[in-house]
Amino acid sequence: MASVPQHSLIASLKVQRRVLAALLVRELLTRYGRHNIGFLWLFVEPMIFTLGVTALWTATKSVHGSDLPIVAFALTGYSSVLLWRNMPGRCIGALMGNLALMSHRNIRALDIYAARIIIEFAGATISFFSLSLMFILGGWISPPEDFLTVAAAWLLTAWFGAALAIALGALSHEYELVDKLWHPASYLLFPLSGAAFLVSALPPLAREIVLYIPVVHGVEMVRDGYFGSKVEAIYDPGYLITCSLVLTVIALIATRWVEKRLTPQ
Amino acid sequence: MITVDRVSKEYRTRTGPKRVLDDVSFTLEKGERLGVLGRNGAGKSTLIRLVSGAERPTSGRITRTMSVSWPLAFGGAFQSQLTGVDNVRFISRLYAQDPDHNLAFVEEFAELGQYLREPVMHYSSGMRARLAFAISMIIEFDCFLIDEVAAVGDARFHERCNYELFDKRGDRAMMIISHDPGYLRDHCNRWALIDAGQLTPFDDFEAAHDHFLAKMRVGETVRAVAQPFSRRMAAIDSLRRVAHEDEQFMALVRQADAARDRHDWAEAESGYTAALNLHPYERSYWAQLGHVAREQGRLVRAEIAYRTACAFGEPVRLLAPFIAAIEQADSVNPHAPIASPDGGDTRRQPAGYPDLAVMTALATGHDRLADDTALAMLRRPGAVEDVLARMLEEHGGPTPRLTLPGAIAVVPGDAPKRPEWREDLARLTGARQEELLAALALGEEPFAALRRAGGLDGWAIPENALTGAVSA
Repeated sequence: MASVPQHSLIASLKVQRRVLAALLVRELLTRYGRHNIGFLWLFVEPMIFTLGVTALWTATKSVHGSDLPIVAFALTGYSSVLLWRNMPGRCIGALMGNLALMSHRNIRALDIYAARIIIEFAGATISFFSLSLMFILGGWISPPEDFLTVAAAWLLTAWFGAALAIALGALSHEYELVDKLWHPASYLLFPLSGAAFLVSALPPLAREIVLYIPVVHGVEMVRDGYFGSKVEAIYDPGYLITCSLVLTVIALIATRWVEKRLTPQ
Repeated sequence: MITVDRVSKEYRTRTGPKRVLDDVSFTLEKGERLGVLGRNGAGKSTLIRLVSGAERPTSGRITRTMSVSWPLAFGGAFQSQLTGVDNVRFISRLYAQDPDHNLAFVEEFAELGQYLREPVMHYSSGMRARLAFAISMIIEFDCFLIDEVAAVGDARFHERCNYELFDKRGDRAMMIISHDPGYLRDHCNRWALIDAGQLTPFDDFEAAHDHFLAKMRVGETVRAVAQPFSRRMAAIDSLRRVAHEDEQFMALVRQADAARDRHDWAEAESGYTAALNLHPYERSYWAQLGHVAREQGRLVRAEIAYRTACAFGEPVRLLAPFIAAIEQADSVNPHAPIASPDGGDTRRQPAGYPDLAVMTALATGHDRLADDTALAMLRRPGAVEDVLARMLEEHGGPTPRLTLPGAIAVVPGDAPKRPEWREDLARLTGARQEELLAALALGEEPFAALRRAGGLDGWAIPENALTGAVSA
């Protein structure tokens, strides 16, 4: 017999865990299927992206305003971009395709977003980790100077990406303009996100403007942890945390608001 | 127990908020099976989604102290890239059940064979329905919400579904919505009617059903714009579909079928007559009308109805024995051949009673046809164009300055008259309906109006029959 609704916290957490686990498997199977390498694509795809960008920048000898090896620069920069940029991409319009799922009472809009965000986070993280290992073992870069700072920066960037993803995902269900505008916005933000420059290499005015973009702080922090002694990293974790907090509140309110207007199929 | 307390639901539409449910309250206890009647769009599905918790009410509260299923609708909510097995595993995980045990059940119940391991997008709609039902049976709920089970096609599977639901799980609470009142009567022990956002409970099916029919009558009926089909069989086929979409028509024939089953022939006859008055070309009910008229000894009417059914394409093989049995054949009137359509142009097809009524009104302005006259015309060989030519000939041409009757009887007996008969006229003669109605409204001669609207094209009507009108 299916369980009678219970309202204790433990019971609710159990349901939550079950729903997320079921959604994760479903999402992985739907997205990657069982053909060729299956769910390995989860991190192979971002790895190919990062490797491609690294190769391109190396070949064109991109100027980035420091004497860092270009490989290290591309790895930290592009991996961070993938982390925060892919989450909104996957959450925008996510409800539309999954309205049928909403007939199951235990599945909430937030669960659908959470499952997709977890997958994106896992993909980007495994890719970043494996590539770092490859480059370190191959001798192209040295190991991170401060692993904990890298991890903290990575998690903060992921938090920001997740909050952005949920907010945009929820709003996109009501306003299709969100979907239309996100694509150009994500491309335009890429060169501004700190992936392709060091803040310290910018003129003071540009530096000031660029530091209003939260993700710049994340990338700078990753680089500080990776090779802090070789560059001058400029960032403020407090700013990134404040932005993420505000965005999280907005995301939760938007999700609740959208859920009220949802009609399952 | 499920308690629905003063629940309202509004949807936003382009023209402002629309209130679908307005202050609805009821409770559902274990063992109660609530059948909800209501016309299309009355809010039945909305109510079931609210009770399931998939959607939230605009105001009011719904409390559940038992486990409640998701709405078992039979399209099936599947991820179509995933296989049947994946979908079973997903639901099992979601409801903390043993996937392997469930898989064995679904394999046995849905009879999908190897297809269970194929992506759902390759399934036929019947296979999807079977998988959906099997999946909804793997989780044991205290209360099942059922949205139109009767829609599942295959009769054998339907029977197994009913056994699983109402026999094996007969002790559970259920809430069922269906278009088929008979289904609700047989499977529920409480009933309710949703209309204009309000829910009215009934402990007695007949009372609920009477209210339902009363609501249906006051509502607007589905009206088909007559498409200018050149082939009659195509027109009859599409008119049958239109009739089946019309809830008022379906309610009437179900009522008549029920009366027929308890041998209340008079009640059945008046039900079929009223139904055919709404959709005079639904041929299978002409056959039913023949049967119930025959049972009452109204042999002329029975023969009219049988011959009309055959003229509209019911199998002659099946109805010929009935016609032979009641036909009063003698030396003056030997057994007349039974006419059936051949799929060609409408003007070349045999006429049924509604055609005779329409053409009589056109030629003479009479709004009712005597049974004997009608039967004589039905027995006499000839297609509709011949019938019209004969009528005009006997009448000495169209009546000059004839005003067509507002409504005519298109079913024998004392049925109410049908105001929409001009649509039937347009369809029969192949005229463009709107042009014809406009021309008639301007007071044009009926035949001139028909010609102007493209009607009677190619009909073999003797010129003198028509010119008679001009010279007269």
